[in-house]
Amino acid sequence: MTMLHIDKLRRGHGTEDEYKVVELDPLPRWGADAALAIVGRPHVRVEGTEKVTGRARYAYDMRLPGQLFARVLRSPLPHARIKRIDISKAEALPGVHAVLCVENAPEIGWYRDSFVFDRTLRFAGEEVAAVAAESERIADDAIRLIEVEYESLPFVIDFQEALKPDAPKLREAGNLVDEPKVYERGHVAAGLREADVVVDRVYTTQVAHHNCLEPHGCTADWEGDRLTLWDSTQSVFDVRQQVAEKLGLPEHHVRVVKQFMGGGFGSKQIAWKHDVIAALLSQRSGRPVQLMLDREAENLAVGNRNPTRQHLRLGAKRDGTLTAIAVEIEQGAGAHMAGGEGSETAGMYQTLYRCPNVRTEQCVVYTNTGPAVAFRAPGHVEAAFALEQAMDELARRLEIDPIELRLRNYTERNQLEEEPYTSPDSLRLCYQRAAEAFGWRGYQRPPATGSKRRGIGFAAHDWGGSGYPPGYAWVKLNSDGTADVVTGTQDIGTGTRTALTQVAAEELGLSMDSVDLHLGDTANGPYAPVSSGSATQATIGPAVRAAAADAKKQLLEAASKYLEAPPERLRVRDGKIFVEGEPEDRAVPVGDVTAAIAPHMIQGRGARGPNPEGKSVRTFGAQCVEVEVDVETGDVTVLRVVASHDCGRIINPTMVEAQVIGAVTQGIGYALTEGRVVDERFGVVLNANLEEYKVPTVADVPPIEHAEVNVPDPEANPTGAKGIGEPPLVPTAPAIANAIFDAIGVRAYDLPLSRHRIFELLAAGPAGGERAEVSA
Amino acid sequence: MRAFDYSRPTALDEAIALMGQPNGDAGARPLAGGTDLLTLMKAEIVNPPQLVDIKRLPEITRAIETNTDGLTLGALTTLSQIETDVTIRRSYSALAEAAELAATPQLRNMATIGGNLLQRPRCWYFRNPHLDCWLKGGADCPAREGENQLHAVLGASPCVAVHPSDPAAALLALDGTLQIRGPGGERTLPLTEFFAPPTSDRRTENLLGEDELIISVRVPAPAAGTRSTYLKAMDRKVWAFAVVGVAAALRTVGGKIEHARLTLSGVAPIPWRAVAAERELVGQASGNDLFARVAEIAMAEAMPLSQNAYKVPLAKALIRRALASTALTP
Amino acid sequence: MPKKPEVVTLSVNGVPESVAAEPRLTLLDALRDELRLTGTKKVCDMGDCGSCTVLVDGRAVYSCLTLVMDCEGQEITTIEGLSRDGELDPVQRAFIEADAFQCGFCTPGQIMSLRGLLNATPTPSDAEIKRAVTGNLCRCGAYLNIVKAGHLAVELQWKVATQ
Repeated sequence: MTMLHIDKLRRGHGTEDEYKVVELDPLPRWGADAALAIVGRPHVRVEGTEKVTGRARYAYDMRLPGQLFARVLRSPLPHARIKRIDISKAEALPGVHAVLCVENAPEIGWYRDSFVFDRTLRFAGEEVAAVAAESERIADDAIRLIEVEYESLPFVIDFQEALKPDAPKLREAGNLVDEPKVYERGHVAAGLREADVVVDRVYTTQVAHHNCLEPHGCTADWEGDRLTLWDSTQSVFDVRQQVAEKLGLPEHHVRVVKQFMGGGFGSKQIAWKHDVIAALLSQRSGRPVQLMLDREAENLAVGNRNPTRQHLRLGAKRDGTLTAIAVEIEQGAGAHMAGGEGSETAGMYQTLYRCPNVRTEQCVVYTNTGPAVAFRAPGHVEAAFALEQAMDELARRLEIDPIELRLRNYTERNQLEEEPYTSPDSLRLCYQRAAEAFGWRGYQRPPATGSKRRGIGFAAHDWGGSGYPPGYAWVKLNSDGTADVVTGTQDIGTGTRTALTQVAAEELGLSMDSVDLHLGDTANGPYAPVSSGSATQATIGPAVRAAAADAKKQLLEAASKYLEAPPERLRVRDGKIFVEGEPEDRAVPVGDVTAAIAPHMIQGRGARGPNPEGKSVRTFGAQCVEVEVDVETGDVTVLRVVASHDCGRIINPTMVEAQVIGAVTQGIGYALTEGRVVDERFGVVLNANLEEYKVPTVADVPPIEHAEVNVPDPEANPTGAKGIGEPPLVPTAPAIANAIFDAIGVRAYDLPLSRHRIFELLAAGPAGGERAEVSA
Repeated sequence: MRAFDYSRPTALDEAIALMGQPNGDAGARPLAGGTDLLTLMKAEIVNPPQLVDIKRLPEITRAIETNTDGLTLGALTTLSQIETDVTIRRSYSALAEAAELAATPQLRNMATIGGNLLQRPRCWYFRNPHLDCWLKGGADCPAREGENQLHAVLGASPCVAVHPSDPAAALLALDGTLQIRGPGGERTLPLTEFFAPPTSDRRTENLLGEDELIISVRVPAPAAGTRSTYLKAMDRKVWAFAVVGVAAALRTVGGKIEHARLTLSGVAPIPWRAVAAERELVGQASGNDLFARVAEIAMAEAMPLSQNAYKVPLAKALIRRALASTALTP
Repeated sequence: MPKKPEVVTLSVNGVPESVAAEPRLTLLDALRDELRLTGTKKVCDMGDCGSCTVLVDGRAVYSCLTLVMDCEGQEITTIEGLSRDGELDPVQRAFIEADAFQCGFCTPGQIMSLRGLLNATPTPSDAEIKRAVTGNLCRCGAYLNIVKAGHLAVELQWKVATQ
């Protein structure tokens, strides 16, 4: 059942040719009433034993014969030119096998306009040289022996400063990355005139660090002219393509493997310099080389969530109907555009609420700081902090319940493409379930005791998460009736292995134990895209199901000879093949059929089909939180969170709940404690570590309830499942900010809501705390 | 971390002799729990040519001894031992609470009380290998005009880093003294004298000589009616250094305060004793008005930097709470 | 410059091991690089995260802040030493059943912290379970299930003990 073919579309007006897949033999869809035995039920992670025994092998755990360890010398200055670099002492140190720098490394382009080793350094932490040695300690000793003379250049750290005409420039052309991106529908000026109330505020959000526990890094090894990289990556195929291109190798000579990864959260969705540096050091030394970043580098050089300043104007009629949304967004890119998923802060303003007049303008600015890269729901997280607080403020001004206000501006259509949603009721359901589980209506605020003040807050969001073609899977049925499923996707800790195994087992009619899923290896499986955009389950799930269905069809054809019954009357269930309408004891184990035909083998192939024409597939969610603020000490305690998120059919409630709770946990950190601190006089990050960059601990997490929606979206794809990985992070920070306002009557416009900031708000008091409106 | 030599002497005098030897540009350092020293060495803030392991010396123990005179902690006693010791929990509550609120279980299993008192500031300029700072021998303190939200509001010094120890504030409130051994023999030093803000000719937070070792910490038995506590504000619910910590020890007799100690961590280059506030407390009838007034007195000299003014009201709130919870009302 | 290595003898998971170590070799690097026991993870290397937690003479410590020289004659237990004859430790079983991890990178450290707790306190309270993992960061945010796993491990351990 190879069901796809590729069509070339010619779009008018000189746009480029576009290829798209067309489904020839679509699978029957798993609708809401589908009787499923394995899909939809909890199952523990299939790789659990490896992870609890320490046997799961991460990129950092590769130990090959003769392996060397690499370290990188990084720029101590935020903007500099290398005047002179001398690596001879480092090269001479016993135990050192290779040293690379701008003087001796091939000139390989990186980012938009830089090199792997560039003479110009644009942020403190940028790569200057690299050493491969017999231990990390010797490599460190060698790094200290490298002599560099820098010419310090003027630098700019703050992205708003960088926009000023007299700001130091990172590039000749100036600090603006591209022309500002403008979107407009209707007329916002007219919409604002029409409004009875306008909320006009400026919000800022901070730089947040992913701080994946496993740092970025890889182990590189050559066999002749063939390179293998064991990389901590969210995208084995993208890394392969990028590394092959950079090193001038054919793609089939590069193999990228990632079996286990210690967190990515968006930051590992592209090839980074370490991939190429490790490959070059390995080539030069003739030994396998492991290059893993240390914690400081992890915080400086491989991505962060970009800071934003958002000037938002929200106009509404007295009944709450939105008449205009206008936002000007400035965001910092850091020193380079890293690539990968972009942070579209403008996106949610355009889609979340029904509004005829919307204008967004987004400009991205270079600064002398580490490059930003996608971080779990990039853009939406930043936008939600502003939009969802503005909606709360509007609701209070109009004396409308915040949820009611959102219902009055509900849209069942994607207003960008004027297409109806495949799940037009989902967001309403999220509102409803979150509010019910939380007890939003009828919430009784406990009387203030001493210095403690309670408050509740609500926020909503939308997100993509539809999945998309292409993405492929194979299924092999073994002679004993077990199955191997092979796909080039990744499990980045989200439960992909488990959920895809469930899909395959369900379609094949086999038990979970009889199915093994293989992924994360470009040499052992067909293409699958990057694990990002909350797209993996909705992209690869249908491909796996299609491959399983293909294998099952062939199995039943073989079984029909074996059982002497027509294939249409055969069903597979619990590892057995039944003949419909005949006694159950005529059923035979799948293994009997596969053994009978062995060594002939059944192979299924599957591909992700296209998304529906003329409809928009989106995901939605809403959260309610309760907080307690101690007005004497500035302590903010999140007491509970209820999160309700639409991801279509829930394949595995355990995994989905883990995503929801994990994302909310990160959201609590983003709201309250996390933020990069840079001394702008030196351009140096002061908290590039896990001591002063404060991610939440076990004690910072309150009870988090997942109020399931679980409405299959069969129009989205044949499994009815959509993404959940990123979106539950989106509404947490604004919901907390709204709850803090509810508790103390002062609104916070700047993240993070640290103790320092809470004291400022408290000092300003309810009146002073309302930042003066810009206009209105 | 740069390479170093390692020695494991078996007698105290041998250890002290090793530390007294001039050895490269910096002297040998004693190694006990290692939880502070190794982080300083990994960041290359200090690069001692030699570490002297002092964990197997008969003279320095990990023993907790209590008798009618008071409490003696061998310098190698871990914070975990202190946190879980029933007598300390009952009679020296501030110390047990401070130990419990410090760091993490693993660090408390490793960290010794001697090392805890000697740990260097967590200031992010001091700890950053790429930045110069006065405490590391540089010309200026970059925190004074920089990112100083976590820095000192009290205690005049060229350095505005705060002392990071929680137990130090508690021990100060409990009138702790140190037994110290050096080449010249043993001396006893009250903690009030041991800690001293860095000065231009001594860029450290205490008066311990480079060739001296802390042998033990002694705390006198509190008189009947004494209660003590330690409160700590952190930027996370756990596992953070004190933004402000407050230790209070009060002896109340018939509703009247007979003895008072009030100390703060996280606000000054050394664990800070609020002497004027203590004086105000003694002889007064305990009560919230008094505690509010005392909190004002304790912070009256505060000179906040550009970003840490919030520490003043925070400290006052914790002082009021600490006093209210230790005062016995008749 | 590197120093000449000295031989350190220690016991790792009940097996006597000799490691030729420079004084600056940490227990963490000795385990991962010299003994190839990579279950113990290196994350911050500064005592800030807990991923390198192992038991030294039964107590949970950070192996990144422990010099291997200091472990002469001591008994080290790592994640690889918890399961015996293919039988998982109750804490390990509990982690799987309670879904107490996502990416799994902090998991060995979390498990060792709880193992250390249960060694000393077989029936801990909820507060004690939480406190035992306060020094173990989990960036995926699996904390709620880690605490659940702690409770479940107590039950499973009790069942094993009474069998």
